[in-house]
Amino acid sequence: MIVRHARAPRPAICKAAAFALVLGALSGGGADASPGAAASPAGSAVLRDDLHREVTLPRHPRRIITLLPSLTETLCALDACDRLVATDRYSNWPVQVRSLPKVGGLEDANIELIVSLMPDVVVLSRSQRITERLRELGVVSFAVNTESYADIGHTVRIMGEILGLPDRAINLNERIERAVQEVGQRAWAQRRGEGPTVYFEVERGPYAAGPSSFIGELLSRLGARNILPADLGAFPKLNPEYVVRRNPEVIFTEATGLAERPGWERIRAVREHRLCSLTPEVRDIIVRPGPRVAEGMRAIADCLARVAP
Amino acid sequence: MNALRPHAANVRGPSVARRSRLAIWLVCCLVVTLLLTCVSLIAGTSSVETSWSWLVSPDSQASVVLWEIRLPRTVGAWLAGALLGLSGAIAQGVFRNPLAEPYLLGTASGAALGVTISLIAADASFGGLEWIGKLGLTGAACVGACAAIALTITLARGVIETTSLLLAGIVVGFVLSAVMSLLLLAKPEIWRAVQIFMFGSTAFLSWSSTGLLATVLCICIVPALLLARGLDALTLGDDTAQSLGLSLPALRLSLLGLVSLGTATTVGQIGIVGFVGLVAPHLVRETLSVNHRQLLIGAALCGGALLQAADLLSRWVIRPSELPVGAVTACVGGTYLLFLLWRRSRWMR
Amino acid sequence: MAKIAMDAVSIAAPAVPPALTCRDLSAAYGSRTVLDGISLDIHAGSWTAVVGPNGSGKSTLLRTLAGLREPRTGTISLQGRSLSAWPRRERARRLAWLAQSSSATDLTALEVVALGRFAHSGWLAHRQAVDDAAMHRAMVATGSLSWARRRLSTLSGGERQRVHLARVLAAEAPVLLLDEPTTHLDPPHQEEVALLLREQARAGVCVVSAIHDLSLALAADRLIVLGQHGVVGHGGVGDALSGDWLSAAFRTRVDIVDQRGVLLWRPALGARPRD
Repeated sequence: MIVRHARAPRPAICKAAAFALVLGALSGGGADASPGAAASPAGSAVLRDDLHREVTLPRHPRRIITLLPSLTETLCALDACDRLVATDRYSNWPVQVRSLPKVGGLEDANIELIVSLMPDVVVLSRSQRITERLRELGVVSFAVNTESYADIGHTVRIMGEILGLPDRAINLNERIERAVQEVGQRAWAQRRGEGPTVYFEVERGPYAAGPSSFIGELLSRLGARNILPADLGAFPKLNPEYVVRRNPEVIFTEATGLAERPGWERIRAVREHRLCSLTPEVRDIIVRPGPRVAEGMRAIADCLARVAP
Repeated sequence: MNALRPHAANVRGPSVARRSRLAIWLVCCLVVTLLLTCVSLIAGTSSVETSWSWLVSPDSQASVVLWEIRLPRTVGAWLAGALLGLSGAIAQGVFRNPLAEPYLLGTASGAALGVTISLIAADASFGGLEWIGKLGLTGAACVGACAAIALTITLARGVIETTSLLLAGIVVGFVLSAVMSLLLLAKPEIWRAVQIFMFGSTAFLSWSSTGLLATVLCICIVPALLLARGLDALTLGDDTAQSLGLSLPALRLSLLGLVSLGTATTVGQIGIVGFVGLVAPHLVRETLSVNHRQLLIGAALCGGALLQAADLLSRWVIRPSELPVGAVTACVGGTYLLFLLWRRSRWMR
Repeated sequence: MAKIAMDAVSIAAPAVPPALTCRDLSAAYGSRTVLDGISLDIHAGSWTAVVGPNGSGKSTLLRTLAGLREPRTGTISLQGRSLSAWPRRERARRLAWLAQSSSATDLTALEVVALGRFAHSGWLAHRQAVDDAAMHRAMVATGSLSWARRRLSTLSGGERQRVHLARVLAAEAPVLLLDEPTTHLDPPHQEEVALLLREQARAGVCVVSAIHDLSLALAADRLIVLGQHGVVGHGGVGDALSGDWLSAAFRTRVDIVDQRGVLLWRPALGARPRD
């Protein structure tokens, strides 16, 4: 049950609207800040976010808060880092965002801090539950889905629209696509015969990355063959016996002591020490589909080239 | 007095009917266990035909999958279940409470905290905590569980009052959970790993874990059977038990020591698997007597079969994926308890 | 509260140490003193009944004598040796105690009576012929043999009480301390129990029972009369009557009549109202 406090002051919306009005006036054209105006006058734009909401935001927002590292990276890749006023606590690239105020994690963002920073828009992922609370407090929030490889291009495009920089977004997408293609081609060229069979362990359990996950997509672009079939889902909890039976040639894992697991010393990857362990920076990249995807792929491809049979 | 002899035969031991009931029960348990073991060899990620062909004409992969993965896993699950059932039966006897179970004394929270500290120490930069990393997750969970029990007994100022022990156990559980939450703030990314541990898993049971569980089971069950008569006496009341010549603090301390050893070992190997320790003694009491010597043996056998069945289900239902075995025992155990409640309400009417 | 040290006026006093003695015994629950400065000698071969009003400390006295409660001050001796000096099992072989109320248990009657032999047979519960014989005798004496195989929770209050009595008797201890042994029993069985206790006393056992039913209590050989402020008197039943200890203890007129050799309490209810 949502209790609305009619008396509650709304400094954020008042100040944000005033700011937008001034900006709109400065940038020329009549400033029409009325929400829901379908024809977008110079001061504001109406965009559809990934929660299927029609969101009205200023045309060139100057104060942006992002609540997901991949959104932070996309914004900065579009050269709009100066418009960031705060990020979530996990955003750590590029270096300059580390000095920005942190408003919490993905599920426990500090609402008070967000409101006090008076953002024009808060960009967050689709699954965050603070959207409702922000709406009540009059803060504009915009949800962006960032789960699969295809979402990278979509995120870049939508961020470009939010920022009012659609051309830069197209350029960025082209650059990302080129880099990915280059890494992919090099990997395919370096392959000997069929691609290596790979098992990517995400957590002790064992939880593995299936072909439908983001990591799985990267692996298949590099020509590696995932030992998991697609119908098991993105991150299934496996019976370890399955890995023994499928006998992968390369294993990606953070865990140590694989040979102690019953039956695992027979696996080709364990026997021949074809194990890949990724650095924390690379792990950050491949967990968040973002503009640095080519870098992440390069690291995986390097390891594969090194250890694959 | 010759007249006494024929009468004395009346009182000598359980009647033939009761003895045969116990024998039938034991045979049933053993048959079920053997059956489950055989099915566990066949069930897994391969199809039934493949498994069958492995048994008939083994190849190299057969020996690995059957004898190094499936068999130790099912035997280990039985041993862990037996330890949990035994610990549960002893706990219910010591606390004279049918809702007592092995994780009563804060063991679960202690083990989770141990795992958390171990995962944090694994990539810690300061050298003092490296030894914790060396213990591994199993060792850390075991140590954490033991520490929690020691804390509970200290808080309750000994084992004299069962009520204060229960309260201390609850308090320790809450406090250690809170400490774990605070630690997770420092490194939130390990929360997933801790959660996986909390769900329980029989996935990595090897012959060495099985050996350890078997050793601990033997160490626990022999003294437990010796002390079973003390548990019987406790059901008559503290004062009466004391008047029979029992030292209550010593009895309780020994029994709780056995519970702690069994539970800590199990938690280290398979994580936190609930309901087995709670349900197994109840199942025995429904069908057999409550003489604690029989109850302890029965609860161990029953618990073993229960966990074996849960392990089998968790591997079979969504193969080659796996369900967390703790979730399966919760479903099965919860259903059984609901059934007991329903039957009780019908009986009351 | 005056300390009353009574020399035991023994009826049939053999020259052996008393089975149970206490000197200067005090017991308290927190700040509330229940017993103060009690000294008693209780001999074997007699049945002593402890009587007194509610709250006078009958149960407390028995529990303290049984070693189940630590007294605040004072010493207790069992068969000439201090109670705390006895090893636990030895003491349990010589002193059996029956609780006023028992908790529900799912053990069978036979198992409960077998627990009475715990001090003799020990942890391994290897029952020998002597154990079986003692158990059988006890169950026959209390008439509980017919439900030997039934669980205690399925028996009525009276049947359960008889099983517990059998357990206490099976121990064959020289000292029996019984707290309200006739609870839940119907009159015929109360009579049986009274006769049983008398028989035990004749056989040389030291029987001490707390009984609130005055007529039954007066069937005993000796009385310990507790009042609100300590022991009112300790001695034979005749002394109790001549000294009118009961009226002093209960602070009201207690009429005892002699009905053909049997002493009965006659409650002053007045004539029955005519219909």
